[in-house]
Amino acid sequence: MTDTRDEFETSAASTGPPPLLRFVAAKAGGGVVSLFLVAVLGFFLFRVLPGDPARTMTRSTPVSAEQLAALRHRFGLDQPLYLQFRDFVIDLLHGDLGTSYIYNRPVAELILERVGPTVLLVGTATVLAVLVGLWMGARAAWHQGGPVDRWFTSVGLTLWSVPTFWLGLLALMAFGVGVGPLPGLFPVAGMSSANVPAGVVPHVLDVAHHLVLPCLTLVAVIYAQFMMVMRTSLLEEMGAEYLTTARAKGLREDLVRRRHAVPNALLPTVTLIFLHLGLVVAGAITVETVFSWPGLGLLTYEALRVPDLPLLQGTFIVLAGSVIVMNVLAELVYRLLDPRVRDS
Amino acid sequence: MTPILRLDGVSVTYRGEDGPHRAVVDANLTLRPGATLGLAGESGCGKTSLALAVLRLLPRSARVDGTILLDGHDIERLTWGELRAARWTSASVVFQGAMHALNPVRTVAEQIAEPIRLHSPERPAAARVRARVTELLEQVELPGARRDAYPHELSGGQRQRVMIAMALACDPRLIIADEPTTALDVVVQAQVLALLRRLVSERGIALLMISHDLSVLAASCRCLGVMYRGRLVEEGPARQLVATPEHEHTRALAAAFPTIGDEGSRYPGAGEPGESAGGVRGSLLAAEGVSVEFGDRYRNRVRAVRDVDLEVMGDEILALVGQSGSGKTTLARTLLGLCPPNAGTVYYEGRPLATSGRELRAFRGSVQLVLQDPTGALNPKHTVYEAVAEGLRVHGCADDEAVRVREALEAAELRPAEEFTARFPHELSGGQRQRVVIAGALVLRPRVLVADEPVASLDATVRGEILALLLRLRRERGLSALVITHDLGLAWNIADRVAVMRSGEIVETGPVERVLTEPRHDYTKELLAAVPSFEGSVS
Amino acid sequence: MSAPPNPTGAAGRRLAALAEGWRVYRADRGGLFGLAVLSLVVVLALLAPVLTPPAELDVTRAGGAPLRPPSAENWLGTDESGRSVLLLTWWGARMSLLVGLSAAVLSMLIGTVVGLVAAHFGGWVSTLLLRLTDFFLVLPALVLAIALSTVLSRGVLTIVLAIGVTSWPQTARLVRAQTLTVETRPYIERARALGGGHRHLLGKHVLPAVLPLVFATTTLTVASAIIAESTLSFLGLGDPAMISWGSMLKSAMDTGAVTAGAWWYLLPPGLGIAVVVLSFTLCGRVLETVLNPRLRGERR
Repeated sequence: MTDTRDEFETSAASTGPPPLLRFVAAKAGGGVVSLFLVAVLGFFLFRVLPGDPARTMTRSTPVSAEQLAALRHRFGLDQPLYLQFRDFVIDLLHGDLGTSYIYNRPVAELILERVGPTVLLVGTATVLAVLVGLWMGARAAWHQGGPVDRWFTSVGLTLWSVPTFWLGLLALMAFGVGVGPLPGLFPVAGMSSANVPAGVVPHVLDVAHHLVLPCLTLVAVIYAQFMMVMRTSLLEEMGAEYLTTARAKGLREDLVRRRHAVPNALLPTVTLIFLHLGLVVAGAITVETVFSWPGLGLLTYEALRVPDLPLLQGTFIVLAGSVIVMNVLAELVYRLLDPRVRDS
Repeated sequence: MTPILRLDGVSVTYRGEDGPHRAVVDANLTLRPGATLGLAGESGCGKTSLALAVLRLLPRSARVDGTILLDGHDIERLTWGELRAARWTSASVVFQGAMHALNPVRTVAEQIAEPIRLHSPERPAAARVRARVTELLEQVELPGARRDAYPHELSGGQRQRVMIAMALACDPRLIIADEPTTALDVVVQAQVLALLRRLVSERGIALLMISHDLSVLAASCRCLGVMYRGRLVEEGPARQLVATPEHEHTRALAAAFPTIGDEGSRYPGAGEPGESAGGVRGSLLAAEGVSVEFGDRYRNRVRAVRDVDLEVMGDEILALVGQSGSGKTTLARTLLGLCPPNAGTVYYEGRPLATSGRELRAFRGSVQLVLQDPTGALNPKHTVYEAVAEGLRVHGCADDEAVRVREALEAAELRPAEEFTARFPHELSGGQRQRVVIAGALVLRPRVLVADEPVASLDATVRGEILALLLRLRRERGLSALVITHDLGLAWNIADRVAVMRSGEIVETGPVERVLTEPRHDYTKELLAAVPSFEGSVS
Repeated sequence: MSAPPNPTGAAGRRLAALAEGWRVYRADRGGLFGLAVLSLVVVLALLAPVLTPPAELDVTRAGGAPLRPPSAENWLGTDESGRSVLLLTWWGARMSLLVGLSAAVLSMLIGTVVGLVAAHFGGWVSTLLLRLTDFFLVLPALVLAIALSTVLSRGVLTIVLAIGVTSWPQTARLVRAQTLTVETRPYIERARALGGGHRHLLGKHVLPAVLPLVFATTTLTVASAIIAESTLSFLGLGDPAMISWGSMLKSAMDTGAVTAGAWWYLLPPGLGIAVVVLSFTLCGRVLETVLNPRLRGERR
């Protein structure tokens, strides 16, 4: 856009409520719609798609017709679908996710017990992966084509090509069980040991000890994503003309990088990091399975073996829902960070 | 007095995959303190390479030979530290297209303050830096309140003012301005040029300005140099160089910026409608009370075109002039039936335009479009033949396709046609591409050509040829044209009538000679005043 | 439609462009490595029934002792039922490639159609499709695929479907972005002014411009589809009758190969996945560079 006649007119003139408020409202509204869609999808996947959920749940065990009928009644499956859906939504709004088939306990309660470990694992791994990934991505881009770049990129791509659970199995065998003369350095399963002396410090150390292998496995697989995103967006900025301006002003190369190129490259990276959260969650499911980490992932694995449909529905809604909430938050944060989208 | 800048036998060579490419060849020039020099040349003539070489800002693939003395120092011999100290304090740069030359995520004040802090011997007090930034913003006539704005919140002219403020920050003795007004509108361009001229002469700063536009340079610099294929082919006082150009390339550049009111710069055949063979007088394409509205991003209605009446007569070249954002392109799209009007009617040969179906298709065959950028207007994957034949295929006239394509190419002066049919757009020059676009329109044997800035992205030498082609098509085929342009000189070159558009309304219409020499509307007068001329440089 | 004159010239130049692309591709060692590995793996996978006795895959007829380390008889050792790990890995490649390719093709089809429609037609259809794409883009695809393959009957088709219908949003976003970029080009406006309709615009201008990139992304999608397949099989959601790299790793974990230190059982299938996925990724990346000159310039 070039100038109109009135040169001093500000470009962001608008009427109505302030843009920020409108933006927050729009994003929050979008988030609520998405959450509702998740609920609809959950209902569709686990109630409608299987045809007869009772039969699906009991497919590995022989059951009589009466038992099936009783099951249907217990889960309200004998009602018409629209009534089932109505009850499902009402229950959901009350935080009731139904009753687990195998545990015979409220799904919400089971999930609450398992949220902590997953947050600990996923949170630690994400923070580490973002730090490592961004740092390596920036270095790789700045030394584009050089040995650092080639080395970082090949290692990253290779690790990214490896299935998370396989890396976990290898780590488990090498550092948990031990190979040859190498003794097992880390615990092989769970989050804590039984024979830990009382007290906060020993407990924390014990959990940290258990956390090392699953967390590093997760980091190894996901950091490459962040690294490649950072590398690409920094490379895109490197041809930018404002860097020539900065050099012409007499800035040292490292200042050109730190003050001008990196801040610009970092912004698009933020959103992409959050878009990759789904990947982290997926990785958590297999890592928790391999290391028997008592989180939501392991719960999902336990549920899908039966399959315990109400429990699966619960973990699906919680996992998908939290990823959506995180994304909405990311967009709000991004808007605060980037002046370019602040008033658009 | 030592010259502020002296180039001795400077050559710039780029290492490329296809061997070395010499962008600048053996350039010599001297700039005394306070002097102003304009370097003119077409795109790719090496003028920007020369400018960047002064501060050693060229990419690593470039090699510089010869000596560059900046303020008496050979810049190739400076250490990196000395060079960094010299950058911006001895010479600063106003870059082309300020949107990209400013960091998008930092405020204007921060970016102006950066070189001040950097080049101060000891850390300056925050208050002093702040005061200096405010002072600089005042000097470029920007309100102090805009100091905390981000680049995208400013208009193009404001951004260019910020670039100028930034360039002045360390009181340099030389400012290098690389196409400082290229993306700007005529009126804003005039304001920015006046500002730059004033600041430079007030402080005795030397100015090296680079542009493809000879008139912009002539309006701001006392001396001009013309570059052609890497060489400085002509140099001299501005007036003399424009009035009596010696090198043929200088002549071409000068011809691209006609003096309005000078009968000599009208093209043969311009302003003589109705004298050609087979021409039909009377209204061909007309808009009556046409309004077009858009929803902008705030869902406000924007009226791009307001209640416009416009008529393109048979056998006539009508120029529609206005600044960018005046709604002239929207009006053209509406006339082509590409954008439905919210009110009013478009008539073709006296009949209202159909909105869909067979009739609209037939109409599309009769009124054709020629776009500004011929590179974009051709699908890079299609050969010249396919591009020209596209219209025939869309309209299902396949019988004598090859013959008609050939005919159209020759009519667009691409001879012999066989030599071009199998080429891809990237194998053609800019002027040839525009001829292919014109051939693609001619192949449907239209009655009216709507040309949106048909020569704006072409080099000066090609400009004249394409304009002459439009006139020849009118003379030989009775083809009417609606030429949309921001360039009053172009209207003076070829048009019979001119319509002046402002904020969606047509403010003045009439024969070119009358409107451009005795304008009645204030806006037309303003536009004419903004056309760069020597008068500005003398005052 | 009559043939354009001098067609060999243009066709020749198009071939030359292809050769130029190959020259750029060849310059990348990673891309060449990926292509070579893939060719080898595909040939071996196709020839598996010819070169190896399928009977030995049968648990009841397996010859060796269970969980033996590599020996002269079984180069890669044996699994918990005494079958040759080499043979299992060889046959597992068939499954991984089949599922990976089919799922990627399915996802490409859905993604391309959604992306094209969302970008070209505009209006409420486009808005709806865009919102839907964004929704599925954010949703963790694997979680969704797990849900789908849990409730549907076990089988190869289910796995393909589950991966295919959850991995299209990236393609859709890309196709939409590319279509929007192409449609801002003046030649689209020119074609419109010539009187071209939707079919003409999409068929002659948009699709030819979008398809090469779609092809490159699909190569990358195959890579992630293979990982997804192995993950689903590892979780026990695959076809129980088929051998895949993922299901091999599942048996390895379930039968205590890890605690027994049976590295020969863990390494081959995992390396198989890693090498094939890496090869697809390398090929896809180089293809992107070849097809997108902007990226190519960046590499210089």
